[in-house]
Amino acid sequence: MDAPVVDVRALRKVYRVTERETGLAATFRSIVKRRYREVLAVDGITFRIDPGEVVGFLGPNGAGKTTTLKMLSGLLYPTGGEATVLGHVPWRREGDFLRGMTLLMGNRSQLVWDIPAADSFLVLKEIYAVPTAQYKRTLDELTELLELQPLLHKPVRGLSLGERMKVEFAAGLLHSPGVAFLDEPTLGLDISMQGRIRRFVAEYNQRSGATILLTSHYMDDVVALCRRVIVIHRGVLLYDGALADLAERMAPYKRITVTLRGSVGDLSTFGEVVASSENTATIHVPRTQAGERTARLVRELGDQLADISVEDPPIEEVIDKVFASERPLAEATA
Amino acid sequence: MIRIYRQLLVAQIQAAAQYRIQAVLWMLFSIIRPVIFLAAWTAVSSAQGGSVGGYSTADFAAYYIAMTIVGHLTTAWNSFEFEFEIRQGRLSPKLLRPLHPLHYAVVENLIWKATTFLPLLIVCAVVALTFRVEWHGEWWHLALFVPSILLAIALAFMLGWVIATATFWLQRINTVNTLMQRVGFMFAGQIAPLALMPIWMQVVAYSLPFAYILAIPAEILRGGVTLERGLIYLVGQAVWLGLAIVAYRFAWRAGLREYSAVGA
Repeated sequence: MDAPVVDVRALRKVYRVTERETGLAATFRSIVKRRYREVLAVDGITFRIDPGEVVGFLGPNGAGKTTTLKMLSGLLYPTGGEATVLGHVPWRREGDFLRGMTLLMGNRSQLVWDIPAADSFLVLKEIYAVPTAQYKRTLDELTELLELQPLLHKPVRGLSLGERMKVEFAAGLLHSPGVAFLDEPTLGLDISMQGRIRRFVAEYNQRSGATILLTSHYMDDVVALCRRVIVIHRGVLLYDGALADLAERMAPYKRITVTLRGSVGDLSTFGEVVASSENTATIHVPRTQAGERTARLVRELGDQLADISVEDPPIEEVIDKVFASERPLAEATA
Repeated sequence: MIRIYRQLLVAQIQAAAQYRIQAVLWMLFSIIRPVIFLAAWTAVSSAQGGSVGGYSTADFAAYYIAMTIVGHLTTAWNSFEFEFEIRQGRLSPKLLRPLHPLHYAVVENLIWKATTFLPLLIVCAVVALTFRVEWHGEWWHLALFVPSILLAIALAFMLGWVIATATFWLQRINTVNTLMQRVGFMFAGQIAPLALMPIWMQVVAYSLPFAYILAIPAEILRGGVTLERGLIYLVGQAVWLGLAIVAYRFAWRAGLREYSAVGA
């Protein structure tokens, strides 16, 4: 088995923040004596990621996702624990480590605003010491995948958000990093651009074999790209395993939606009716009995039945249940 | 590293080309203060029969012209820019790359000076003609000025970085900057040549780094020091530069541990 690309052991980060009460008196008191509070952002998380994996890193706002990514990319020193990325301790910020990884943040720019992206790319080429032939090959590939051609020679400040995100991706990947940390890469983009970025990440992972750790609030990103997810909440790792297993364990039911030609009667004998309108009803049934209940519905409703669908519950619902549990799932596995 | 610098210089020239007017205005702004002091000392000197403390009107003119050139060449705005970079989240992308953020600042600084130096010399020439400057230096004053100005540029730049690193702890360093500027104004030879100051002020001035950035290279350029004194000044500049580099290395390493990557 290959050595893990990302190896995190009991990683911890505590921020010390100043705090004071509201009001003028409290303001004056804080000038004389400051009060500090410790905020536990990441509380001893442990996981490993193997070469070529695309892993979704999920959690609500303030869960500690971005703090973890910043530690793994060498921007932050941890308060405790250990981590290696590509065999390097990230916060030592060694040249080989920095040349081997990238951190892309959806709401931050790493390009010079006043000049065209193509010129920023040339600067990055030299900084990362990318050989000319490899640079041309990579740029051609990225230009094709991201449809960059019309954008390369415009000053970055003149690009739309979606266009800028595409050139940011290219800038972050020009040096062909072995590991990419993507923090909300589709934030603020329209549906079509989100889809394009998603397809690009999948394609890039396939072509380059790069390892990717991705955070996103859009579950579509996660479903489309990640077979494995790591869920953290309040700095604690709640789940690490297959996305499909997560749905099975947190929501041990399937969702059957029936549309009838007439009005909906009493369907509670088939399962738990969770939503019902004039001629449509949604029923939760135990996973193991989904086939049998569906067959019964078809048989008993007969001609009344206009349509029927059987689905897993939406991933958002599953993830919400994990967050609500606020405790690690028993057999969380890597 | 040469290839990196070449590409950074090209990019910076492109970016700077879009703000030509702003660059020239900053350059003119940097001239105003020495010219005001030049006018004031010229008036005092004329009123006292053409000389104050051994400085003739022409000497004052030469000193402040030299001071203007030195002031321009040693300008460093790292300490102002760095706070902005951290607050805007612009430092993090630089820290992620295998190139120290200091190099971007070096290039920015060089380009600004290079693009505004010629217009500055033209303005200085006009002022020199207006105030009838006379240069009484020797060839070795010019030879001494070269290492002196290089040391002064490096010292101003590194001192700026040392102050800038305070942002890691203090978040806002405007007050630190203002304090340094005021102290620099008092003791760097901007109000008057150091030789005209009271002895206690001269002692303080030679004990702080500011005079080694402005007054000393300016005195060397105008030909106002002996060879022996000039060489001692160079040693003083080198010592201060060494101290600034050591302080910077220590503060940078410690500061990165404090960095919270806010805004990024």
